[in-house]
Amino acid sequence: MSITRVLALLGILFAAGPASAHTGTGLPGGWTAGFMHPLAGFDHLLAMMAVGMWGATLERPLIYVLPVLFPALMVVGAGLGMFSVPLPRVEIGIALSVLTLGTCIALAIQPPIWIACLIVGVFGVFHGDAHGKELPSAADPIRYSAGFVLATGLLHVAGIVVGSLTTRPLGATMARSFGVLIAISGIGFFLRAIIA
Amino acid sequence: MRDGITPCVLLFAAFGLALAFAPRSAWLPSLGALLSTLAAPSIVSSGRGWLDAAFLGCWISVIIIAGTVQLFRKLPSWAALLLSIDAGAWASAVTSLTGSRLQVLAVSPCVLIVWPAVCVTRRYGPIPIRVASSWLIAIAALSGFLQFLPVTPGYLPDHLE
Repeated sequence: MSITRVLALLGILFAAGPASAHTGTGLPGGWTAGFMHPLAGFDHLLAMMAVGMWGATLERPLIYVLPVLFPALMVVGAGLGMFSVPLPRVEIGIALSVLTLGTCIALAIQPPIWIACLIVGVFGVFHGDAHGKELPSAADPIRYSAGFVLATGLLHVAGIVVGSLTTRPLGATMARSFGVLIAISGIGFFLRAIIA
Repeated sequence: MRDGITPCVLLFAAFGLALAFAPRSAWLPSLGALLSTLAAPSIVSSGRGWLDAAFLGCWISVIIIAGTVQLFRKLPSWAALLLSIDAGAWASAVTSLTGSRLQVLAVSPCVLIVWPAVCVTRRYGPIPIRVASSWLIAIAALSGFLQFLPVTPGYLPDHLE
């Protein structure tokens, strides 16, 4: 076979896209799909960042208790979602989480530890329920789970970084401004969830 | 056929994080015990029942090992040794049943996460490692749940749809 033919063959091989027939049912599975999922939904993204931000503004031990508690309760919610245990108006719960957490950051609300844990825990269940129902039936749900837990965690870390600005000049104003924007988005999600 | 490597990656990562809280003198014996258990012939035989049990055992081990990071300020040497044998035994069982026995050697360096974990703990304290271990617990718990479902419910509409 001549070198031209070999190169042409290699060119065709590398230029070919993946076959898209019989892709299975449901959402695409796998690590990348799982990682991108929390980033694709603006409501989840804001709520998870808000958890980290609020924890950082409340300082120890909530700076790490809230980001540890949220995924744990998300797993409980995901379990409920996977086993089709009905939860009341999940979409409204998710919208309320964005609104409540944004308001807490904006008004610098500092509740007792158990109340902060309760708020974040309840909202974690709602977010987990939504994610649990969406786990793909095709491909690799374990890697999908790993991807979305990691993305969730990194969103918390991003929120902690923003929330930690409160120790710097103008940082508190900046963090509270973010809180206002998150709360306004929460109102939007809430109205959309009610109208839907 | 289920992928046997992902649980091993998570198991070794959890063990690496736990080892970061153990005394340095416990590292070498624990890593030696882990590798010896991995190399030893698996006690489980083939079969669907064994496969499910091995995966479940693996997920429970990830939860227990990552849980020690949450519970212990200092991990005793004997506990590190026990956890290494536990991790090696379950990794060996899962990879034997999924036919990925040799591939497990390729992912065993995941245990070396112990070095960055020690550096992070020295600089920022144990909180980042505890947060990371809570993610491993969440992944393992979710994967354990999945095992009890006939199908995952991805055919249902997305909550954004």
